[in-house]
This record gives sequence, C-alpha cells and structure tokens, in this order.
Amino acid sequence: MEYIGLYPLFYFPQIGSAWLMGITGAIHIMASHTSVGAALLFAFLAHKAYKEDRPELYEYMRKYGMFLLIFSYVVGSITGPGIWNTATVASPRGISALIHNFVWVWATEWVFFIVEVIGVFVLVYTIGKIDRKTHLKITYMFALASVSTLFLIIGIISFMMWPGSDVWYQTGSASDAFFGINTFPHMFIRIGFMIVMSAVVGFVIAGNLKELTLKNEIIRKLAFIGLSGGFLILMSFLWYVQTLPQSALDLFHTVLWPLNGMSRIITVSIIAAYLFLAFALPRIINVPVATIMLAVVLVLGIWPGEKMRESMRKPYVAGRYVYSNQIIGRDVTGKNIKSEMAIIAEKGLLTVSPFIPDRLRTITPENQLEAGKLIAKLACSNCHALEKGAAYRPLPDRFPGQDAATIEVVLNEVIATGTFSYMPPIKLPEHETKALAAWLATQN
Amino acid sequence: MDMSLVLNSLRDPAGVPFYPIVFQALYILTWALHIAFVLLTLGGMVVSIVGHMKKNIDDNWKLLESHMIQVSKISVSMLIVLGVAPLLFTQVIYDPNWYVTNTLSGLWVVAFIYILLAGYALLYWFYYANKSNSSFAGIAGILSLIALIVAGVLMHAFAHESIQVDQWMNWYAPNGVVDNSGTNLHIDVIRLAFMVSLSAPVVGIFLLNYADYFSKRDDYSAKYIAFTRSLGQKVALGGLLLSAVLFVVWTFTLGMTFHPLVIAIVLFVLLLLAMVAKGINSYVITLVLVVTALLISTLREVIRMNIMSKYGYTIYDYPMNIDWPTVVMFLSTFVGVGFTAVGFLLTLAWRAGRTKGVYSADSTVTKLADSTVAITIIWVVIFLGWGIIAVFKNFL
Repeated sequence: MEYIGLYPLFYFPQIGSAWLMGITGAIHIMASHTSVGAALLFAFLAHKAYKEDRPELYEYMRKYGMFLLIFSYVVGSITGPGIWNTATVASPRGISALIHNFVWVWATEWVFFIVEVIGVFVLVYTIGKIDRKTHLKITYMFALASVSTLFLIIGIISFMMWPGSDVWYQTGSASDAFFGINTFPHMFIRIGFMIVMSAVVGFVIAGNLKELTLKNEIIRKLAFIGLSGGFLILMSFLWYVQTLPQSALDLFHTVLWPLNGMSRIITVSIIAAYLFLAFALPRIINVPVATIMLAVVLVLGIWPGEKMRESMRKPYVAGRYVYSNQIIGRDVTGKNIKSEMAIIAEKGLLTVSPFIPDRLRTITPENQLEAGKLIAKLACSNCHALEKGAAYRPLPDRFPGQDAATIEVVLNEVIATGTFSYMPPIKLPEHETKALAAWLATQN
Repeated sequence: MDMSLVLNSLRDPAGVPFYPIVFQALYILTWALHIAFVLLTLGGMVVSIVGHMKKNIDDNWKLLESHMIQVSKISVSMLIVLGVAPLLFTQVIYDPNWYVTNTLSGLWVVAFIYILLAGYALLYWFYYANKSNSSFAGIAGILSLIALIVAGVLMHAFAHESIQVDQWMNWYAPNGVVDNSGTNLHIDVIRLAFMVSLSAPVVGIFLLNYADYFSKRDDYSAKYIAFTRSLGQKVALGGLLLSAVLFVVWTFTLGMTFHPLVIAIVLFVLLLLAMVAKGINSYVITLVLVVTALLISTLREVIRMNIMSKYGYTIYDYPMNIDWPTVVMFLSTFVGVGFTAVGFLLTLAWRAGRTKGVYSADSTVTKLADSTVAITIIWVVIFLGWGIIAVFKNFL
C-alpha cells in the first residue's frame, strides 16, 4: 500500500472552505496594514512633536494608539494566526509547504511581533509619563519593528504566487524562494497600502478632535500621506504585473479584469477622490464619514482586491508545486519532493489517499455515486462549491444538463489535460473518472 | 489502517529545515511562556470580576480591579503573540497530528478565532465600561471570561484530539460514512481541569509580585499592599493544592504517577507551597514557577512522544534539509534584536512604573534605547541587502 499525504477533508457547504480563509484574511489585512502604516505615522508625528515642541500631537497619537490597540492588536493579532487556522482547515498541505520552507522566517517575524506588541503598549501608555526623547526612540523602534514584519512576510506571500525562476526548485534554499521575482514590487504595493490605511484610519480619530486648527492640519497631512501611498501603489502595481507568471496574466486578462475591472477603477477613484477632498476640505471629515469610508475600503477595496490576487495564484496554493486541491504537481529536486500526478493517474485518489473508508476504496455500482461525490470533494472542493447554484464557483453549474457520458468526455479531454491554465490537470483512472461523471450528472 | 505508514506519509515532503530536537525544545519553551499568560489572563479576569462586584464596599478591590483588568488586557495580547510560536513549531515536527486535527474539527478551528476575538473585544468593553462606571461593565467582564474559557477549551480539544491517533478514522468516517463537517470536538476533562486550575496559583503569585513591586511607591498605602499580598497568598496556596490534586489524578489516569518528571513536578509544587506559605521574596517564587511551567510543558511533550512512538512515529527521523541562511537569520534576530528590544522596553516600563510623575531615562535605558534602534536599522540594511543580492543573482 502506498499513500500520498492527503489529509481528511473539511468542506464548508455553499461557499467552500477556502473562502473562510479569504474572509479572515481580508479582515486581517485591513488591521495589520493599518498597524504598520500607523507605526510609520507615529514615528513621523513623534519626530515633529519633539522637534517643534508640539504637545498636542502627542494627544492625537495617544488617541490613535488606543484605537490601534483594539483595531490592530485585538482584531489584527487574532486574525493573523486566524489565517493560519483557516488556511490549515482549507489547505493543510499548502500551509505545511510554507511552514516547512519558511519556519525560520516566520520565527524571525515572531521576534518582531513580540517587540511590536510590548512596544505598542509601552508607546501608548508612556505618553506624558516618560521624557520625550526616549519616547521618540520608542516610536522609531516600533516603526522599524513593524515594517520588518512586512519585510518578513512579504517573501512568503510572494512565493505563494511563484518564486519566479527554476533556481529554488534546484537548490531548495529558502533564500531563493523568499526573494523571488515579485517580492520587491509586492513589498512596495503593501507599503503604499499601509500608508493609505494609516491615513484612512487616522481620519476616524482626527474626526473626533475638538480643536479645529489642529484637526484640519492633521487631516490635510494625512490626506497628503494617503495620496502619496496611493501613488506608490499605482507605480508598484505596474512593476508587479510585469513579474507575474503567464497563467496569472491569462486569468487576469481573460476572466478577472473583464469581470472586475470597472469596479476596481471605480473603487480606486472613490478612495482617491476621498483623499483629495479631505486635503481640499478637511472640515468635511468627521467620525461617521471616516467610518463609512473605512468600511468602503474594506468591502470594496480589500476584499475584491485580495480575492483577485488569490484567484491569480490558481491553480497553485504554494510555490507553483502544491495545487489548490493539495496534490503535489511537480518535482522539487532541491527538497527531494516528487510529483504525485502519475501515481494518482495510475491508482486513483481513493486508493492513494489515507483517509478513505475501506468500503469506498473499490468502486461498485452500489457505491459509485457516493465515491464520485467523495472524489469531487477531494479533487475540486477547494475551489468549487459542490451545490448547484451555490455562491462561489458551483461545480454542478459547470456541466448544465450534461449526461454522465458527456461529462466523462469533458473530464478526460479538458480537465485531465490541463486545458485551463488556472486549473490543475486532474487525471484519474477510468473507474474514478466514471464515478465522478456519474455523480456530477445527478447534480446538474 | 497502518497508522505508522499513514503518519509517515503525511509528513511534509520538504522535510524540516533544522534538527527536529531544536524545534521540540523551542516548542516546550514557547508553550510554557504562552500558557503562563493564558493562566494569568483567566486568573486576572476572575480577580477583576470579583473586584467589580466588591468595589463599592471596599476601596482596595476598586483599585485592584482596575489594575487587573489592565493586566488581563495586556496578558491577552501576550498570550496571542506567544501562542504563535508553539503553533508554528508543532506544525514543523508534528504536522500530521496538527493538520488532521484541524480538518476533523475544522468548523471549531474557524470558530475559535472569532470566539477569541469576541472574548478580547468584550474585555476591552469591560475596561472602558468600568472606567465610565457603566452598569454593563460586569456583564461584559463575565461574557469575556466565558468566551476566553471556551476558546481555551477548544484549543485544549485540538491538542487532545491530535494525540488520539487511533480515533481519527472513526471520527472522520463513523461507520464508514465520511463526515466533512469539521464538527468533531473531544476533550479530556481531567487534563483540562488541571490546566485551568493552574490559573489560581499563577494569578496568586502574580499578586505577590504586584504587592512587592508597588510597595516601593509611596503613593500606594501599606494597607493596600498588605491586602493584595494576603489575597495573593491565599489564592496561590489554595490554587496550588487544587492543582496538585488534579495533577495527581490526571497522571494516574495516564499511568505515569511515578514517572520521574511527574515526581519532579510534584516536588516543585510542594516547594512553591512552602515558599508561598513562608512569604519568601515573590520574584524568587516566580522563578520557581517558571521552572515548574517548563517541567509541565516538557511532560506534555513526553506524553505526546510516548503515544506517537506506539504508532512508529518519531520526530527524530524526520528528513532534514538544513537551511543555514534562515537559521542564522532567526538566531541573530532572536538574540540581537529580541533581547535588546525586549530588554529596553521592559526595563523602561519597570522603571517608569515605579516613578511617580514623569520618568527621565537614565544612562542604562538611554544606551538600551540607542542600541535597539541601531541594531534594528542594521538588521533592516542587512536583510534588504541580502534580498537585493539574491534577486540580482537569480534574475539578472
């Protein structure tokens, strides 16, 4: 008996398990990016307050810091490991691949997290209680520690898209995986977005300031900072798209942009207009307006943006060697990793997966539909919901009105051959293809 | 099903990037730190809630309540950030166990995040409502404590399920029918009760530290210091006795009552009891408590190793692909940045907290501050330089 390392499968009906990670991820991105952006902003404000003897800026920093403790250090710090948790239930082998390649990078990031967490409490609660020069040094240290967490995570996220060359597959070195072709452009996009977020969240706190001159001054500064961040995003994005794999560009041009392009343009325009308006007319910014715009950034900006980035990674979840359905799709000689495609094509998923009830390992006319459903879950449910008419990529809707024989032809001629560059080639032995086709025919 | 074959098939084919024993040691160390703050949070929340109920009849409780809410608030942040490390290291060497558990209990794993989020958010609500004397403060505190306990129970269940290897297939496919709902949840009541009971001695000894720390400030009355010291002593003594009983029962169920590690832990608990009863310097007691926590963390790992060895799984033969550059990066950051920055922040907080009015940094704190900033700048320069060289080497 030979097994491949497929874990038991968790499936969340209607939306699929991968979307749970997307939701947690979008919330985390908003909170964590604000945290780093705010750390940079604090260093700037503290520097200004110290050099120009502006005690009122400390009060703004304190209020922002208190807000940050909840926004970023409750929501952000819990949803951070939360991404791990949700990624684990949805793609255990994907997260495992990242952990086993980058454990020391993550451990290094953890050191900075500890500095950040202790740092933010000390920074906020010592305002007015320690001398200003020492406080200024805390803000510098906090900014450096925060931005270092970005430096450390960005290579891992970029590797999820691809390392950009064959070098890592030969050497297996984390350095060659981490510093990939799109690591730096991706880093600058994130820094730009963090700056924008620090301004958008900063408006919420500034909107509550009673002293009008200070309020207007801070809002105008934040607006300028936000616009600078936006400009950095645009420039870096143009660089970033040059570093994407062909499959991502194909998906972007043929599916994602036609579907979402206009809404992305409108969203960017709304956020830019908001920042321009804040700069020109700072008095219009108040807490309700700023809070609504923060929600707009989350719902219209981050969620679809991250969804698009995640989709562009298809058909892989890590380093272009772990497919979204958890199967290893290529050899990585530097790590002694072997592709599992051939053994699955020869023996079938139900034979080589460890967690299969014995009665389903052999397909019979009696259990064919049940086996077909299980194969669909194993091979397809990471990207497709299995219910007809479900919210996200419902699998039965891809075969409208087709009978089992027709579906079998599609599975053999289209799906097994990898015709769509954004889908894993799912080549199964004949009996499993028939079972999958039979089950799909009962669902459409 | 041959579980030995299954477990070894489930290992990540990339192997581990350093000696497994190092990850194991880091796991033991960081879990002990993590659980210390978990227990401080739970104990601190209980003291806060009791204080909230008694604050109108006793001013001592009023002050203690507000401080303990603050302690719990910071402690949750610490437990979260310290919890990341054992979560990371267990995935490296016990990936089959952790990922199987996560998929079998997938729904609970996702729920855990949002329950913890609710618990922490409610704790902040408790903090602000208490400051403004809102009548909802107590309710928020109790709900927060409940949510945090539920989160703790869930994490305990994941740890327990991860070593019930022979049950995995029964849970995943009861009677041969696959269940993908991720709703499995199985707990070990005695083990859980023992772990939770430790929150009493932890918060009790923390209160002794608190009393010693603030006894140096002349704006804290001797009466208040005596009150907190007495409370700490009572809670620590009662808690240690309760934990000791539960510990013996738990190890008895495991058949490990006379295991050398178990005996060592019992001796340390007795030592703690004697030290607390005699009123020895609380910082020394805390050091002994830290050693006890490390022993308990080690015992958990020994239990896991014993169970896994029955299934032919040992972390020591995990295939290795040592990745020296990132090993060096972690160690240098841990020692260089971590020790300096945390040393700076804690020294500053310690001295500022003991100062009435504005604290002006002395030469030690100033040197630490300057060193921290300089070392972190150097770290950033080296890291980015390394990245630029790697990109040039591979792409140009």
